[in-house]
Amino acid sequence: MKNNLLGKRYLVRIFWILILGIIWESIALSGRFSPLIFPSVQNVIESLFKSIISGEIIGETLYSLNLICKSLFIGIIIAMVLSILSVRSKVFEGLVETLIAIAHPLPGIALLPLIILWLGTGSSAIVFIIVHSVVWPMVLNLSTGFKSIPNIYKQLGDNYELGLFEIIRHILIPASFPYFLAGVKIGWARAWRALISAEMVFGAAGGIGGLGWFIFKKRVFMDTAGIYSGLIVIVLIGILVEDMLFNKLEKATVKKWGMSI
Amino acid sequence: MSMILEIKDLSKYFIAENEKLLVLDNINMTVNKGEILCILGPSGCGKSTLLNQIAGFDKPDIGYIKLNKTIISKPELNRIMVFQDLNQLFPWKNVLHNVVFPLKANKIGNSKLERLKKAEKYLSMVKLEDFHNYYPHQLSGGMKQRAAIARALAINPEILLMDEPFGSLDIQIRTSLQKMVIDIWQKTNITVIFVTHDIQEAITLSHRIVVMDKNPGRIKNIINNTLPRPRNSIDSVFSEMYKKVYNLLEE
Repeated sequence: MKNNLLGKRYLVRIFWILILGIIWESIALSGRFSPLIFPSVQNVIESLFKSIISGEIIGETLYSLNLICKSLFIGIIIAMVLSILSVRSKVFEGLVETLIAIAHPLPGIALLPLIILWLGTGSSAIVFIIVHSVVWPMVLNLSTGFKSIPNIYKQLGDNYELGLFEIIRHILIPASFPYFLAGVKIGWARAWRALISAEMVFGAAGGIGGLGWFIFKKRVFMDTAGIYSGLIVIVLIGILVEDMLFNKLEKATVKKWGMSI
Repeated sequence: MSMILEIKDLSKYFIAENEKLLVLDNINMTVNKGEILCILGPSGCGKSTLLNQIAGFDKPDIGYIKLNKTIISKPELNRIMVFQDLNQLFPWKNVLHNVVFPLKANKIGNSKLERLKKAEKYLSMVKLEDFHNYYPHQLSGGMKQRAAIARALAINPEILLMDEPFGSLDIQIRTSLQKMVIDIWQKTNITVIFVTHDIQEAITLSHRIVVMDKNPGRIKNIINNTLPRPRNSIDSVFSEMYKKVYNLLEE
């Protein structure tokens, strides 16, 4: 039943994508717009396949994904440390709240000139921007998560004489997991946006760039179909991560536990 | 009957708005091994506070509580609390693992199999044998409390502490769970301290009833309840006892 519904959802999606594709194609074929602005679906797909076969887009996608995984990992670690500190100590709570108030409204891109001064234009600058855009919303989520752990779990932990390891592994982590997951989802979405924008500005560092760089190159060469193929890859990765990774993870954890927030 | 727990000259204050509020005033009582003792009183009489001191979640300001002649200073496995809160199970563990987890954490039982056997035994005792794989959110309120009782019993505590565990359940479920508590007591002969504000519940379960007064919380009287079991609230002896306890509470 559930599988059927899910299958139906995909069918509906594919149906609308087809409809939109047909509308697109007929506008392109009508010749009202220059193919430089409005390439046909066929051109876009051709261009996508060409870049897949040449390995160009694959290499650049992997480069982007590698950067984003690295930065998300660093971001999660920093966010965990900051939120644990802010939950454990009143002094740190004030500091972390102030940091969030200052840094959270700052778009990563606005920091670009500064970051270029500090770190140059290499991949470490991109990592910095992603980490910045990921850390603050994650700290907010994680510390809310830690604070929302009901007091009764602490009493149970005391009463059943649980050790620190058991309390962390079997109570604190699962109890705050819904917030953690929500934080990672926001983090991922923000990281992905930050990454693409940063790559467009920085271009390739040391001869290799990511998806943002791919799109940027295509614009330089006036390869509009190529730009669209880059966009398609970005959308596909977004859908894959959302549907495959996050939805599966939610089903296996918070949904199974009845703990959605 | 031998004494298992002794509460001596216990007083407890709460600080509220810079004012010292006396919540428990000079409590003296003992608990016998293998009895069901009910602590009965109106809300605000400090009965849950008293139970928290016995559990070790909180310390008395004056006086002491001794379990087997040792002063209680912190929560321990020999006194396990079952709370009123319907969310006392861990939602991320299924029913079976909610029971197994504390056993495993305390290395009770020699093997995984032994722990599973033990958990299964107590889950059957609370009639949850068909719900091992259920997660807490899939259970009714009554089933959750039964699982929590099984988890407490599996530890094999000397005293089972129950803080209005059936307080948020409807009357039918409550009655059947009361029967279950008596059933468990007959099988295990465990000592139970049961806090409630429900006179009928206290009479149904207890060997003795500690009747408390509020503002400040103190013991009014301790009533021996020798009604023959099974007890039925429509029996005339039951209603006589009810009147007696009711009048004492109203005094």
